[in-house]
Amino acid sequence: MYLLGEGIVKNMAPKNVNHKKHLSRSSLKTKTQYRGYKTALWIYAGAFYTFLYGPLLMIVLLSFNDSEIVGFPFRGFTVRWYEVVFSSPELLDSLLNSLGVGFLSATIATILALCLAMGFRHDFRGKSIVLYLILVPIIIPGIIGGIVLLIFFGFSGVRSSLWTTVLVAHVNWVLPFAFLTLFPRLHGFDRALEEAAMDLGAKPFQIFFRVVFPIIRPGIIATALFSFSLSFDEFIRTIFVTGYDRTIPVQFWGLIVDELAPQLPAMAVLIIVISIFSSAVGFVFMHRASRSTKT
Amino acid sequence: MTTTFHNNPGKRKSLPDGGVKPIGRPFWLLSPGVIWLLLFGLAPLAFMLMMSFWTSTIFGTKPDFSFDNYARVIVTDLYRDQLFKTLRIAFMTTVLTVFISYPVAYLLSRLKGMQKALFVLMVFLPFWTSYVIRAFVWLPILGRNGAINNMLQALGVIDTPIDWLLYNEGAVFLGLVYVYTLFMTLPIYLSLEKIDPALIEAATDLGAKPGSIFRRIVLPLSWPGVLSGCIMVFLLSISAFVTPQLLGGASGIMYGNVIASQFLANNNWAFGSALSITLIAIVLVLLLISSRWIGVQHVFTGGRNR
Repeated sequence: MYLLGEGIVKNMAPKNVNHKKHLSRSSLKTKTQYRGYKTALWIYAGAFYTFLYGPLLMIVLLSFNDSEIVGFPFRGFTVRWYEVVFSSPELLDSLLNSLGVGFLSATIATILALCLAMGFRHDFRGKSIVLYLILVPIIIPGIIGGIVLLIFFGFSGVRSSLWTTVLVAHVNWVLPFAFLTLFPRLHGFDRALEEAAMDLGAKPFQIFFRVVFPIIRPGIIATALFSFSLSFDEFIRTIFVTGYDRTIPVQFWGLIVDELAPQLPAMAVLIIVISIFSSAVGFVFMHRASRSTKT
Repeated sequence: MTTTFHNNPGKRKSLPDGGVKPIGRPFWLLSPGVIWLLLFGLAPLAFMLMMSFWTSTIFGTKPDFSFDNYARVIVTDLYRDQLFKTLRIAFMTTVLTVFISYPVAYLLSRLKGMQKALFVLMVFLPFWTSYVIRAFVWLPILGRNGAINNMLQALGVIDTPIDWLLYNEGAVFLGLVYVYTLFMTLPIYLSLEKIDPALIEAATDLGAKPGSIFRRIVLPLSWPGVLSGCIMVFLLSISAFVTPQLLGGASGIMYGNVIASQFLANNNWAFGSALSITLIAIVLVLLLISSRWIGVQHVFTGGRNR
């Protein structure tokens, strides 16, 4: 879904300069009619955004609630739940696990996706089959994406752990998104530059590292950051193959199911901040990428 | 044009259209990714398909070839009812999200400048927060100590907290709609964005009323986005696990929870595989049907590349 990010970046450009002209040309009658619809739409959108953000803002509020219960009434302001989060070794362990797996799976998936996207610039037989193969991990329901690895690795004798099964599950999950984000970048790339380099006698490796890579670098960084954020938030596949290691969403889940622990809202805020931060930075790079390659 | 300047044609691979071949050999570029996907994507699925014909006993799962698991999936009332219930919930969720999302997507497509950038960004932000958290937030809203109970008690409407807000099918609907509605909003918005304003302008100039412009131009042209959103929301909903587990209670469980319990609680891997394969089969059939209108690869890009 993150690849849709590109869609808005593109659409932010002021493309309809002649919009004003269009409005003045339409008759006065339709304009007043429009106004009625517009007000209704705005009221509706207000309700929609409240529905979207109300619960999230409430969690931020509850993370400061000086109460042992996750809920109301609000008994006063405290930061002690953040202290609990940052002083709990299990939580910090799971945070480090998530950061580590996120970093590694984003790196592996981005490299694999880059190679695939470079390959997809060629014409080859069975291209659509390879595309379906890439899409398999997003087509398969998430819950099965975890289970299928549980039984596969269970029968191959691979013990479930962070750096084996969880890493594989995350790369599987992230790879299709990485490919779908990167491919348009390489596709919209101005081939004349490559051609010029080739004419000047550059070898394929030189062309890649000195021409192609510098141009698509923002796109690659954006892809890696989106991939990281996808991996960081991944839960449903991880829970089945996590063994004794825990990523932060798994830890979070455990705390909900066991006892609805009071530090949950603080933990939720921390998770949200980290994944929004990485995606937002990715977004900035994506914006830059869509300027440097013209798609 | 460049070819005429080229004095060393043997060294350069020309294409019929005058361009040059992209660098690298497709075989070597594709191999790492394809090998990964065959080994960790396709092979485990093939193994699961095989295991769905095995039999699980208390001593473990042993190779076999029997259709008993599938017979149980279809014949047992419990599993069949769960499947139909899950399909019904997913269908309802999809319909609800279309109606909830369309007006917002439409408004977003009509905004301009900074206003647009801001509101579109606000549709994106929740995507970047874990759905486990977005399902969890409803517990302190609907629960006994939740915001709603607290508010009603403070207002004096009720004396004791009400329990029926949580752990039922209604709560699951709410959770699913909340978690997945943006998967509908975005593709619809993207397809509305692509509509050429000149079309609407032309229709207005020719005297069409806003209502008929919407019905006869905007709605049909946004169809790819609606379809892509429907497929995504439906697929996500039929395989939901987190939301029904947290908000559904005993009456709100869905197929995902039934599947998960075979692996987490009952340890009946063979039967769990059969349930999983059934779900995959349903997904594939749906994608096959919808491929008449939209290709799989376009579903996940919001119909944007069409």
